[in-house]
Amino acid sequence: MRYEISQNAYIKLVLHALKHKTSAVNALLVGRLVPGAHGEDGLVDVVDSVPLFHSVLQIGLLPCLEIALLQIEEHYGDQGLSIVGYFNANERFDDDELSNVAKNIGDHIYRYFPQAAILLLDNKKLEALPKAKDRSPVMQLYTREASRNWKLAGSDGSSRLLAKEPTANVLLLDFISSKKWSEIVDFDDHLDDISRDWLNPGLFK
Amino acid sequence: MVCKAEQTELNRLESQVDHGGGGAWEYLTLIRKLKVRRSDDVVKYGSPILNDPKKRSALGDDEWTLYEQVAIAAMDCQRLDIAKDCVKALQKKFPESRRVGRLQALLLEAKGLWEEADNTYSNLLEDNPLDQVIHKRRVAIAKAQGDNLKAIESLNKYLEIFMADHDAWRELAESYVSLQMYKQAAFCYEELLLSHPTVPLHHLAYADVLYTLGGLENLQTAKKYYASTIDLTKGTNTRALYGICQCASAINQLSKGRNKDDKDELHFLAATALEKEYKRRAPAKLALLSASLKSFKLS
Repeated sequence: MRYEISQNAYIKLVLHALKHKTSAVNALLVGRLVPGAHGEDGLVDVVDSVPLFHSVLQIGLLPCLEIALLQIEEHYGDQGLSIVGYFNANERFDDDELSNVAKNIGDHIYRYFPQAAILLLDNKKLEALPKAKDRSPVMQLYTREASRNWKLAGSDGSSRLLAKEPTANVLLLDFISSKKWSEIVDFDDHLDDISRDWLNPGLFK
Repeated sequence: MVCKAEQTELNRLESQVDHGGGGAWEYLTLIRKLKVRRSDDVVKYGSPILNDPKKRSALGDDEWTLYEQVAIAAMDCQRLDIAKDCVKALQKKFPESRRVGRLQALLLEAKGLWEEADNTYSNLLEDNPLDQVIHKRRVAIAKAQGDNLKAIESLNKYLEIFMADHDAWRELAESYVSLQMYKQAAFCYEELLLSHPTVPLHHLAYADVLYTLGGLENLQTAKKYYASTIDLTKGTNTRALYGICQCASAINQLSKGRNKDDKDELHFLAATALEKEYKRRAPAKLALLSASLKSFKLS
């Protein structure tokens, strides 16, 4: 199963993580399943993302997550899109484990979208980005196996995460140097001040 | 935690300094006073002052406070060269100081030399067994190494001695939440509610934890604490207003209408308050709010 992430969705996720460097952050992935032709595996098209929270309490507790899920499903449902995955960045630089909270939320999304994915920010890859000139997303992809475990997509090629636009990382680096991450609004910010829009409509204008 | 007025003042000063309008020292002083974490700015605006002998001597004794502030900020930004210089200057001025000793151990932490840092703190503790900052740094070392259970164990031991340290109780609660140990987190918030009953964030966090735990009794208590949050914040807290609706919906589902004699109108009031706020300040999102409230509708 291939997972393609659009430039805007991808950049929002990383900028959000950079805005809140000292804590864990999470986000929801929005998109659709594109069925494959002639019985081939399809692809999951991650069209957009919504940054959610940047504090341990909001990530690990239920109420605000429920509100976010409701409103995001409602908003994107009109466009024929649904929640297709979850993004998570850990608090510590050298922590590359998928947390239990992430797995639980992933399980919940899986119930409604069986090709659900969890993306984990790869801190080391992000750090190396300016020099590495890599086109692949700075994230690790986890998908759910039949055994109900979340498995890291590895070199066996069974699942793959690709950037839809080859310029994604170039644009990302540009935004990082111009400190664009300060403009990102997440659901946490919205709940603190409802006039702030978690859709980030003006971010890429 | 910073209130809105303080946040506005901080941003104003930041903007002023950023555009060359001076006021760096005022900005740095406010950062120190409010204990906010703006390490990039502290290094950016503090270093030039320290590197200029004229500006430095103009500060008088505050020079050493600035050295300490920049040292810690530099460590936060991994600018260990700057941090080392600051700590060296402080050590020269205050050779036998415990405060400088703590900074030296902090520098070891910044370098990732956890064992050396921990040993340095142990030694410092021998002469100063009741130094709270040192105890908490050792908890921080456990956290930085990803050993959440050890951090929790150390925090619990710390709180047995310093049970009035409400920041530590909050830190412990958050550590429990990150490990999904919600019952233990609830206990921490109960302690905080006893000692600081008028802080709305404690009521809100306690309600969130109870809602997450679930079960009829917890939901009913959660509803009460969302209500007290609303009371303490004069109805301006969006999360608490949503919380009331969510609790009412969940309680109704669990009790399957058995509590028909519960004449509680609270969720209708909360829903109306939310609609009013969204109409006023986020009209584009009003439809989404209405959809959410519909899904909480109690039939």
